[in-house]
Amino acid sequence: MFLKYIFLFLFFLNLPSCNSKKEFVYDHEGPFNTEKGGLLIDAMSGEPSNLISIIAGDSASSAISGNIFNKLIKYDKNLELAPELADKWTISDDQKTITFYLKRNLKWADGHPLTTDDVLFTWKLVTDEKTRTPYGSDYKLVDEAEAPDPYTFRIHYTKAYAPALDSWASLQILPKHILKDENINQTFFSRKPTGSSYYKLTQWVNGEKLTLEANPFSVMGEPNINQLTSRFIPDTSSQFLELIADNIDLMNINPIQFARVIPSRPDLKNKLALYKELGNSYTYLGFNLKHSPFNDLKVRQAINYALDKQEIIDGVLLGLGEPVASPYKPGTRWSNKNLHPYSYDKNQALKLLHEAGFNDSNHDGILEMDGKPFTFEILTNQNKQREMTAVLIQRRLKDVGIDVKIRVIEWASFVNQFIKTGDFDAVILGWSLSLDPDQYNIWHSSQQKPGQFNFIGYNNKEVDQLLEEGRTELNADKREKIYHEFSRILLQESPVIYLYAGYGLTAINKRIKGIESPAPPAGISYNSYEWFIPSSLRRNEITP
Amino acid sequence: MFNYLIKRLLWMIPMLIGISLISFFIMHLAPGDITASESAFNPKASEESRQKLRALYNLDKPLMTQYSLWLKRIVKLDFGNSFASHQRPVLWETKDAKGNISKGMIQDALPITLMINLIGLLIIFALSIFLGVVSAVNQNRWPDRLITIIVFIGFAVPGFWLALLLMYWTGVTHSWLPISGLHSAGFEKMDHFSQYVDLFKHLILPVSISCLGGLASISLYVRNGMLDVLQQDFITTARAKGLPENKVIYSHALRNTLLPLITIIGLSIPGLIGGSVIGESIFAISGMGKLFFDAVLMRDFPVVMGILTMGSVLTLFGNLIADIGYAWADPRIRRGISN
Repeated sequence: MFLKYIFLFLFFLNLPSCNSKKEFVYDHEGPFNTEKGGLLIDAMSGEPSNLISIIAGDSASSAISGNIFNKLIKYDKNLELAPELADKWTISDDQKTITFYLKRNLKWADGHPLTTDDVLFTWKLVTDEKTRTPYGSDYKLVDEAEAPDPYTFRIHYTKAYAPALDSWASLQILPKHILKDENINQTFFSRKPTGSSYYKLTQWVNGEKLTLEANPFSVMGEPNINQLTSRFIPDTSSQFLELIADNIDLMNINPIQFARVIPSRPDLKNKLALYKELGNSYTYLGFNLKHSPFNDLKVRQAINYALDKQEIIDGVLLGLGEPVASPYKPGTRWSNKNLHPYSYDKNQALKLLHEAGFNDSNHDGILEMDGKPFTFEILTNQNKQREMTAVLIQRRLKDVGIDVKIRVIEWASFVNQFIKTGDFDAVILGWSLSLDPDQYNIWHSSQQKPGQFNFIGYNNKEVDQLLEEGRTELNADKREKIYHEFSRILLQESPVIYLYAGYGLTAINKRIKGIESPAPPAGISYNSYEWFIPSSLRRNEITP
Repeated sequence: MFNYLIKRLLWMIPMLIGISLISFFIMHLAPGDITASESAFNPKASEESRQKLRALYNLDKPLMTQYSLWLKRIVKLDFGNSFASHQRPVLWETKDAKGNISKGMIQDALPITLMINLIGLLIIFALSIFLGVVSAVNQNRWPDRLITIIVFIGFAVPGFWLALLLMYWTGVTHSWLPISGLHSAGFEKMDHFSQYVDLFKHLILPVSISCLGGLASISLYVRNGMLDVLQQDFITTARAKGLPENKVIYSHALRNTLLPLITIIGLSIPGLIGGSVIGESIFAISGMGKLFFDAVLMRDFPVVMGILTMGSVLTLFGNLIADIGYAWADPRIRRGISN
């Protein structure tokens, strides 16, 4: 009797197919002219928290606020500084004063004029003790800021500070006329912002999606695509299903999807374009330099020789990454082209370990020194790629007689119980860096207190001096020399072993045109305002 | 009965304080705080500014002080604001001087979770009772075996895996159902009827998946209860006096079988506000499960404590309602209480 119900249920399941939309075959090829209008839907794993970028700490927020707000200056497609709100800037001879000259007739999205008053207001806000921002320190170095007229903004530093321009290329300018009486830490503005850039926020459904529309008062001109919708889909497998079902146009994908899934399916290959770009981050194996035997240069170099970086890139990233030899993005001026990663050389590794005093005296396959076996623990956080990397490292180090244990720890515990206390042998972590080459916070010997970033305990007088020089030199050519030398010492000393810089991988529906490929140094999205959707390829307005 | 109720309600107060105290301390035993996750590894964020944040949230105060601050707020039903950078109210919306409304986090997440769980609970109970009765009546024959096998497969299959397969099958290969989320694009522009249809379509998969696990236990519960009842003397009497078998089963046996289910319903009340983290992530539904999970990972103490407090209040009330419901349905218990 109940079989009848099952049949009924199955029949019911089939019902909706009668009115389902017909498969429409798009012709993605052929020349298309730039057109305005259309809707791009992308997927985000996390929901933005706060669109005031000086307060938000999450990447989802900055992805959205970057489309709404402007900075004084920006990085162009080749990662050189270029005008944004300011059309030019000058640096005084003593390198302590920077003057920005704003473009004329700038307007906020509500039509109110945008002047240096707003810039000054934003600077006061970010340096205010009461503002709940983690990013104030760069701006507190400004001794005096002034806006003598609506188009001139001048800042003085007590001593020359080279990363200053970079800091102004990341400070999004906020509207004074709306925020002057608001408590910045808890204001409606964080979820209902008024900006000056290409788009304005028109709708935000908590936990579901947000929609941006072209801002008619945009100081940057009008973008081609009229509407951007970001859907919050935490699970990347679900995102991928939405992508192949044509419900979203763009998502970040993983190496397996990039290298195996999409290329092996003609229907997906026809529909999706794949892009890879080098991000400004790298993954490394860092040692606790205060622990023996990692304080021994020979041991660090031996481990560096013992690891096959290409093997890790091929195994973990399916080849979608690059080995690095300096803490800078390959292809930028700061990365020293004369440096090469340590090649994989097991014999050299063994030789160095013997020189350091390690021998396998009891023939158990593990090296000993003074009767103690060479064994250590690699810590990492819950990140699949880092876990796989750790396993490959474990195997390679076993080859040279080093016993490695792996421990994977939840992020907050990892930071508080191990990094801050210095209670670790080695870690696999990554650095995401800003575009300025200054890395004082990471490598200078003064930055070793709990919570500071030189947690590995690196201490080198020469490097300290180079970092100090690089910070006060605003001339790019001179800085380049300084940081190339700094990278050379770092590579030779191996306080960390650079493992790889992975590509950021994106799949975009082919209806989106005007994307530069191969990606320029700044990545494909640098000109997203020039992307367009030909009307013949647009998604039909979805009907219920 | 009245005295019993008063006594039970009064007992809840020390229980609640105990529960909140334990959860507060366990939460703070976990290493790290909000500043660790927000900006821990951004070289642009300095340690001083993190200290500043800690002071702002009273995280630098002794634990006992933090607890008493929290308790002082909670007795006024003020659940506070989230530590996350949006600083949204935890429980309910607030309005600022200009009339801008900031919606509460639980206020946003709870209706969705409640809806899914209530529908799920209804389906679980309806289907389980039906399956359980069919199994019991056909004990050890093929319908019984088949049902048992099916509900156990449902119980054993990993929900996320089945969810993804179903999403692929119904959403990508056939486009019968939407894949994720609760509303289609353009939901706002639809008329009321289409909105309901749209919501219904979006709910089919998440609700089905959330029902899978519950079916096995409750249908077996009904089956075994039914078998017990069917062996009792009053059923023999009913059959002996010539009642049709349908009447024997559905009006005499079933009623008695359902009695213990009242307890199960009462105990599932606190579960109504809890969502499945995995289910919600896969279906991109922002319910209570994901809210709680993210808050724990971020060490967003006000949100964690808010949800735990609600959960414990509901658990205590759920137990009470189960007891009262049982007494109401079963005269034997009722007399026991009033004596």
